[in-house]
Amino acid sequence: MSEPVIETNRPDPHCVFSAKDFSSGAKPVWCPGCGDYGVLAALERGLVKLGRAPHEVVLVSGIGCSSRLPGYMSTYGFHGVHGRALAVATGLKLTRPDLEVVTVGGDGDGYSIGGNHFMHACRRNVDMLYVVMDNRVYGMTKGQPSPTTEPDWDSDIAPGGIGLRPFNPLAIAIASGANFVARGFSGDPNGLSDLIVEGIRWPGFAFIEVLSPCVTFRPEQRDWKGRVRPSTQSIEQDRATATARALGDDGFSLGVLFRGDRALNPGHADPTRTVAEIEQEFLLGARPAV
Amino acid sequence: MARSSIAVAFAGSGGSGAMTAGAVFLRAAANAGYYGMMTELFGAQVRGGESAALVQVSTAPIQAQPERYDLFVALDWEKVEQFAAEIPLDETSLIIADPKAGAVPAGIAKSKGRVVALPMGDASASRLESALHARRVNMFATGAVSALIGLPATEVQAAIETIFADRGDAMTSANIKNAMAGIAAGPSLSLDVRLEPPVPANRWLISGNQAVALGALRGGVRFVGCYPITPATDLVEWLAPHLRDLGGRLVLAEDELASINMTLGASFGGTPAMTVTAGPGFSLMVEALGLAVAAEVPVVLVDVMRAGPSTGIASKTEQSDINLALYGAHGDAPRIVLAPMSVADCINTTEYAVYVAEERQSPVIVLSDQALGQATTVIDPVEARPTPLKRRTDGIPPGKPFKRYAIGADAITPMPPPGTPGHEWVAEGLTHNEAGLPASGAGAHVAQIKKRARKIASFDPGKLWGESWGEGDVAVLAVGSTIGPAREAAQRLAAMGREVRVIGLRVLSPLPLKSIAEAIAGASRIVVIEQNSGAQLYHHLIGQKAIPATAESVARSGPLPFLASEIASYVV
Repeated sequence: MSEPVIETNRPDPHCVFSAKDFSSGAKPVWCPGCGDYGVLAALERGLVKLGRAPHEVVLVSGIGCSSRLPGYMSTYGFHGVHGRALAVATGLKLTRPDLEVVTVGGDGDGYSIGGNHFMHACRRNVDMLYVVMDNRVYGMTKGQPSPTTEPDWDSDIAPGGIGLRPFNPLAIAIASGANFVARGFSGDPNGLSDLIVEGIRWPGFAFIEVLSPCVTFRPEQRDWKGRVRPSTQSIEQDRATATARALGDDGFSLGVLFRGDRALNPGHADPTRTVAEIEQEFLLGARPAV
Repeated sequence: MARSSIAVAFAGSGGSGAMTAGAVFLRAAANAGYYGMMTELFGAQVRGGESAALVQVSTAPIQAQPERYDLFVALDWEKVEQFAAEIPLDETSLIIADPKAGAVPAGIAKSKGRVVALPMGDASASRLESALHARRVNMFATGAVSALIGLPATEVQAAIETIFADRGDAMTSANIKNAMAGIAAGPSLSLDVRLEPPVPANRWLISGNQAVALGALRGGVRFVGCYPITPATDLVEWLAPHLRDLGGRLVLAEDELASINMTLGASFGGTPAMTVTAGPGFSLMVEALGLAVAAEVPVVLVDVMRAGPSTGIASKTEQSDINLALYGAHGDAPRIVLAPMSVADCINTTEYAVYVAEERQSPVIVLSDQALGQATTVIDPVEARPTPLKRRTDGIPPGKPFKRYAIGADAITPMPPPGTPGHEWVAEGLTHNEAGLPASGAGAHVAQIKKRARKIASFDPGKLWGESWGEGDVAVLAVGSTIGPAREAAQRLAAMGREVRVIGLRVLSPLPLKSIAEAIAGASRIVVIEQNSGAQLYHHLIGQKAIPATAESVARSGPLPFLASEIASYVV
C-alpha cells in the first residue's frame, strides 16, 4: 500500500468552518483543570483541519467523564451505555462510510468494561478513530483504580493499591490489529489535533491514547506535563517491533508509534439481487442458487 | 386404505444422515404436492450424538407436531433410545430397521410397535465394514419409505439433486443410486401406508427461522449484528449471503453486547437494522434494549426461544422468555413485543416488526421459538405487506437548537439521520431535555418518561393484533408455536360436536385490550396455554386486566411440544 499523503497543521483551504462551529456551547461537567478540555479543543481543531462539516461527523461514546464529550460538540453524537461505544461506531461506520465516525471515552470505559470490544475493534479494522482519554482512574464514581492505574495507588476501594500490573493499551492495540497507534497529551491540544487528523486520514482503525490528567482524584498527574516528551524514534511499521516498543516504553513518549498497512474491512457492496428474486429459493422444485 | 397424513421419524447416531434422510423425504413429498413439516431432534453433542428427523406429510396444511409416529426408521440403534419420550410410538407404529443393526432397544420396543426387517445398503458388508467406510444407509431408507407411501421416484431424485446441488456430481449420483435401491426394496415390505393423492400447487418450503429472515429483508433490514447461538444460528447463516446480495451487511460480533450495540449504531445511521439471538444472548442484550428505549432508536430484536434458564437446553423449545421480552431492562422501558403465530406468519410478523420499529422509533421484540424456527414447513406463498411504515425524518420545525426529543402533541418526533445539515443531535441514554442534552431534573425526566410511554401506548396494530378462530363458549388463548396445536385441538373437538374458539395473540405488548375483549366476549371459560411453568403470559394478561380473574392457566415447561390431544383433554 502506498503511503497516504498526510498534511497536518494546515487547514483545508476549502474549509469554511472554525473551531467554534464544532462547539455546542453546552458547559462541560468536567472539573476546572481537567485534561478533557484539552482533548475537546484538539478535536474541534482537528476537525477544522480535516475540513469536514459538523453534520458529517458523528461522535460516539460510552459512560464516564470523558464520554460526555459528544454533548459539547455540534456534530451528530451517540452517547450510549458503558463500554459499548466501539460497537455502536462499528455498526454506524459499516453502514455509513460517508460519515466521519470518531469514538471517544475513558480508560475504564474502553479498557475495562469495554475491553473486549476494544480488542475486537482493533482486529476488525473498520476505518474510524478511537480516542481514549486516559487518567488512570474512574472519575465519575469518584476515584477507583482503573485498568491503567499504578499497582500501588491508594484508594478507598483498594487500600494500599490494587496490586495489579497496569494494562498496556498501545501494546494491546497493536497486537490486536489496529492500523494506526499513537499517544498524545491533553496539555498539547495542537499536537494532539495533528495526531487526530493523521489518525482519521490513515486507513483502517486508528487508536490514540491521550494522557489526560484527572486533577481531582489524581492531582499528582499535574506533573505529567513535565514528564511527557516527543518520541525520538521513527514510526514503526512492523507489528512485533512496535508491540515490543510499547511494552518497553515508560508511557510518556508522544507521537505516532505504529502505522500498519492492513487491508480495510470491506464496506457495502452494490446489490446484485432483489428480495423478490431471493424468495424464489423457497419455491418448490426450484434449485437453490449456487 | 390410503391415508391423508403420515408421520415418519428417521433416527440414528450423529453422522448417520438422519437429517438428510428427513430433508430429502420432505422435499420429495413437497415436490409431489403434499404439505409437510420437519423438525429436528438433537442430543447435546456436536458430532456423534443421537439425532432424529421428524417428518409429517399430509394432503392438508400441518399445524402441529404429530401425536404419534406411524413409521420409525432406525438408521442404527446407537443412543436412539434416548429419544423414546420425544418420538411417541404405539402398537400401530411400524419400526423399520436393518436386522444387522442389532436388536431393537427396550425403550423403543416397549411401544409394542411392529418391527419390520429391512436390509439396508450393501447386504454383503459387515457392520464393522460399513462403519469403517462410512457407508450410510440413509438414502436407502429414504427411498424405501418414499416408495411405500407412493412418492414418484422422479421426485426423490429431484430432491436429492436440489439438496446436494453444491456437493458435486459424484456424491449426488451415489445418493441417487442408494435411494433408487431403497425405492426398489420398499414395496417388498407390503405395508399399507400409502397416502391419498396430493393437490399440487405453487408452494414454498421454508423454516420459521428462514421465514423471519425473509420478513426482515422484505421489511428493509439491511444490517444485522449477531453472535452464534442455538437455535438462532441457522437464521443468521441464511441471512449472511442474502444480505450481502442485497447490498446489506451482517456482522459477526464478539458477543451479544456488541451485536445489539452495532445494530443500534447502524439504525442510528438510518439503516433498518436487526439483531437475532436466543435467551442467553437476549439476557446480555437487555442493557442496550433500555438504551434503545431511552435514546429512541429503532431496532428489531428476534429471540428464538429455547429451554432455560441459564444455558438450559440449547436445541429444544420453550416459551419462557416472555417476561424477559416484556420487562427486561432497568427503569421504565416500554417496548413493543410481537410473536409470530405460525411458520408462515414468521414472514409477515417480522416484516411488520421492522415497520413498527421504524415508525415508532422503538425496540420491537419478535418472540419466535425453536419449535417454529427449526420447523421446515410447506406453506402457501406469503405476500408482502402492502404499506411500509417509514421512520419520520422530516417535518422539523425551524429554529435552533433542533429538539430531537420535543414534548408536543405528537410523541413521535423527527429523527434525521447523521449527514443531514443543520439538525445535528445526540442519541442520549442519559435522561435528557428536549434538545437531547443530559438533564437530571425531575421535569425533564417525567416529561421524557411520559413521551416514551405515550409512544408505545398509542401503538395501534388494528387487525394485526392477533386472530380468532371459531365460536364456542370456551376460548383458548395461545401464542407462537402453541397456537397450531390449539387450533388442531379445536378442530378435533369440533368434529366431536364441541365448538371451541382459539385466540392467537400476535401483539403481546402493548396488549391489544379492546381486540382481546371482543375476541373473548361471550366465552364462559377462558384458558391460557403457554409453554413455561411460571405462567408468564397468563400473569401478563391478568395483570393488564385483559382477561377475567376466573381465567384458567395451562402452563408447563418445554421442551416437549404441546399436543392437540393434551389441549383437547384439558378443555373438555
